[in-house]
Amino acid sequence: MLTRDECRALTEKIIKLAKAEEVAVSVNSTQNCNTRYANNAVTTAGFTSDLSLNIQLTREKRTGAVTANELTDAALERAVRQAETIADLAPPNPEYVEPLGPQTYPDIQAYHEESARARSAQILPAVRSVVEAAEKKQVNSYGYYDVTAEARAIANQLGLFGYHRSTWADYSVTARTLDGKGSGWAQDGAPRVSQVNAQRVASTAIQKCLDSWNPKQLEPGKYTVILEPAALQEMLQFLAFSLGARAADEGRSFLSKKGGGNLLGEKLFGENVSLRSDPFDPRVPGSPWSGGGGFFFGGGGGDWLPAEKTTWVEKGVVRNLIYDRYWAQKNEKKPTPFPPNLIMDGGPATRNDLVASTERGLLVTRFWYIRFLQPQTVQLTGLTRDGLFYIEKGKIKHPVMNFRFNESTVNVLNNIEAMTAAVPVGTDLLPTVKVREFNFSSLSDAV
Amino acid sequence: MSVTRREFLKTCAVGTAAISLPEALDWETALASTAATPDPIYRSLMAVALDTATKLGATYADMRICRYHVQDVFLRTQTDLRTGNVVNVPRVNESERFGFGVRVLADGAWGFAASPRVEKEEVARVAREAVAVAKTNAALERRPVQLASVKPSEALWRTPFRKDPFAVSVREKIDFLQAINNEVRAVPKLFVVNSSLRARSEHKFFASTDGSYIEQYLQQIIPEYEATAVDFQTRTRRERSYGVPAVTGGWEHVEQARMLENARRVGEECVEHLSAPPVTPGTKDLVILPSNLSLTIHESIGHGTELDRALGYEANFAGTSHLTPDKLGKFRMGSDLVNIVGDRTLAGGLSTCGFDDEGVPTLRFDIIRRGTFVGYQTTRDQAHLIGDQESHACCYADSYDSIPFQRIPNVWLLPGSEPMTLDDLISGVDDGVLIDGLGSWSIDQQRYNFQFGGDAFWEIKGGKKGKMISRVAYQARADEFWRACDGIADSRFWENQGLTGDGKGQPPQTNAMSHGCAPARFRQINVLLTD
Repeated sequence: MLTRDECRALTEKIIKLAKAEEVAVSVNSTQNCNTRYANNAVTTAGFTSDLSLNIQLTREKRTGAVTANELTDAALERAVRQAETIADLAPPNPEYVEPLGPQTYPDIQAYHEESARARSAQILPAVRSVVEAAEKKQVNSYGYYDVTAEARAIANQLGLFGYHRSTWADYSVTARTLDGKGSGWAQDGAPRVSQVNAQRVASTAIQKCLDSWNPKQLEPGKYTVILEPAALQEMLQFLAFSLGARAADEGRSFLSKKGGGNLLGEKLFGENVSLRSDPFDPRVPGSPWSGGGGFFFGGGGGDWLPAEKTTWVEKGVVRNLIYDRYWAQKNEKKPTPFPPNLIMDGGPATRNDLVASTERGLLVTRFWYIRFLQPQTVQLTGLTRDGLFYIEKGKIKHPVMNFRFNESTVNVLNNIEAMTAAVPVGTDLLPTVKVREFNFSSLSDAV
Repeated sequence: MSVTRREFLKTCAVGTAAISLPEALDWETALASTAATPDPIYRSLMAVALDTATKLGATYADMRICRYHVQDVFLRTQTDLRTGNVVNVPRVNESERFGFGVRVLADGAWGFAASPRVEKEEVARVAREAVAVAKTNAALERRPVQLASVKPSEALWRTPFRKDPFAVSVREKIDFLQAINNEVRAVPKLFVVNSSLRARSEHKFFASTDGSYIEQYLQQIIPEYEATAVDFQTRTRRERSYGVPAVTGGWEHVEQARMLENARRVGEECVEHLSAPPVTPGTKDLVILPSNLSLTIHESIGHGTELDRALGYEANFAGTSHLTPDKLGKFRMGSDLVNIVGDRTLAGGLSTCGFDDEGVPTLRFDIIRRGTFVGYQTTRDQAHLIGDQESHACCYADSYDSIPFQRIPNVWLLPGSEPMTLDDLISGVDDGVLIDGLGSWSIDQQRYNFQFGGDAFWEIKGGKKGKMISRVAYQARADEFWRACDGIADSRFWENQGLTGDGKGQPPQTNAMSHGCAPARFRQINVLLTD
């Protein structure tokens, strides 16, 4: 991976090649170590490194963007000249935004040498422990362990420069009974390899698999559901995609106001719902600068503003929308970055409390293949997967065949009755929630 | 090994001779030479990788050196709500990526490593790394990898095209998109138009310890546009796309795609959709056009007949399949009319090439024959697991630093063998829906339960196409859906629809392929009101 000095030298060389015209450069240098297995045996594994260099050159509001990965002087010269050629041919961008000057980026500690040094040999014990645990219980395990290390840099001709390194280790496991009638899943991720708890992932996936064996059929309909963090995360991601101010102002999202304008400041969710982003949380660290902007979200390109904490929803009220620099400038607002993570304030309940307080309901491990049915209402469709359980009179009774749902995230966030404390799930921090009247629309035979 | 047109035709699936097929690929032109380009630098680098791996104990090794070139030209045309002015926002990106990957078998296990630095010392280091990965993971290998045999090939293969899309100027492309956007935007109440042209090439060099040395130049062209209409009073928005099939080919495809000629219609249908009445849900007959049916083929048949899924390799991510090996040759997956093939030799197919990413010559093979499930998509390390001697050439890696594995080839539905028009299909429906374009789509992890939308729907009443309706989705179990197929239009109506962005694998990879089909009719399918 490229060091800070190497990135600085590289970006300076490119800016010099561009002969002091307006130019923005980003560098992404990565390495990845991964092991994948199925049926209790390794299938594929690899160690790869890669590099990507993006040059965005602008002349009189005409921009050419070139991505390359060859670092010879000749290749860099070619890339810059190509960006110039495109800029000369492209029409001016009416949504052009002036580049940022030098910025002070926060120092976010997200890089850990132990993860950057991880190779197959360091991953193998975690894989082996899950495989052996699965064999002991006479089930098949399927898993994927991935450790990524990344160095990123940004720079422009006005002296802006940022450099950031990060690592992330992620382990997910599916366990299936040998007859294919039961399936369980669990996942853990952290910046450090040593923080990933393979034993907990294994025991959770295997127990879910055994408990889900031979599910019974229930009729589709509205049920009280307990959504584990992974299930909630999958629905919330679609809400995050819908937080753009421009889409709201242009009548294209659930945050559009009837007749025009947006619903910023309106109470759209339950009093117990608060959502925020925090790039400084060491459990789910973000980048020191924001991405965002972009062509379809409204132009302005990569924003590169210093990262900051943002509250999106406070006690059910929409407190912020995503404003890229162009839309913010046009509407005289402060730009707001795309959320680097989602953190939902949880509640005092335990998972057992949620189950014990449920007269009749379903426990959902996770969802699969969620898609928008109607962005205007965040109406989604998707399916349950890897562990769906029937709850009656406060106790988990038996596994249930999977369902398809047609339901809105907005409804879910209005129907939360109780929740646990938030825990890391992927790069978010989310609770387990109990939700009333969740709509399951059809049965699935999939296990 | 030389592959002639005659030999190519021999590989075509049997039992389809009576059916009028889509345009055949000019194989002789594509197979430009039976000897690969004698590039001494690449040859010597590949020799370094293969020799290094072999000396360290690899029993098999291959190397791919790849250059990917992508050019994206976008144009967004929309109304500025504050001023009422129309603004045109362009974006042009060009990307070139170059690098190599080395894959080895050592101690019976796979190992892979890759780098963007195509230099002798780096090649040797990466080969050593790949062997180390394989040997480490062999400790958890239960059954040594076994490769189906393949004849060594020396060949140069190129996508046939007449006009290089990279040679067409950015200015000409922008002007072309501007004309389309202006035409769509001329429709009153139309809010925004997004149009784009993507040209993508893969220039790949492959060598293996089996003795193959293959050079391929593959070129895709992907034109698109989408209109959006918004009603601020009802808080409704609708999108409508023109279903230009993405293909392997050149700029001539764009010139022939009638994009401009269809622009006004697309805009008008988008606005009409905004106020179209909702569907009355219930069990109805469906007539589905190729731009929509292609994705249904992809999700229910394409993914359902991947052998790696059926064997559990994807259980932790994309899922498994209800089409398990015990059902091969027995399971009724469709009506007698349903014939579906896997085919990387299809003219213009997005996954069409001469050889797959492990050097296997591409071919066409049956997947569903007269309604019965008869074939899987396979790679060299899978074929023996179902008793096959040869791979179906379905190995692909989306980048030099991606591990090659089994991906969906072109999977297409053969047209009806009897004369049948779209009107004939509609005339046989008393209460139904005509469906076009892509909307929402979702299917379970074993490919049973699917629910698909579209971007334009028309009521069918008494055998006639009626008014446009809205908020439609159809939901079915995959095998019941295909068994309910009672009509497929003939080859005059067959379209080579292409899909990009198919995701699978860990780490995730993307893939593009074509799912050609003609309009088809399905009886008594569950139709939902979506919101």
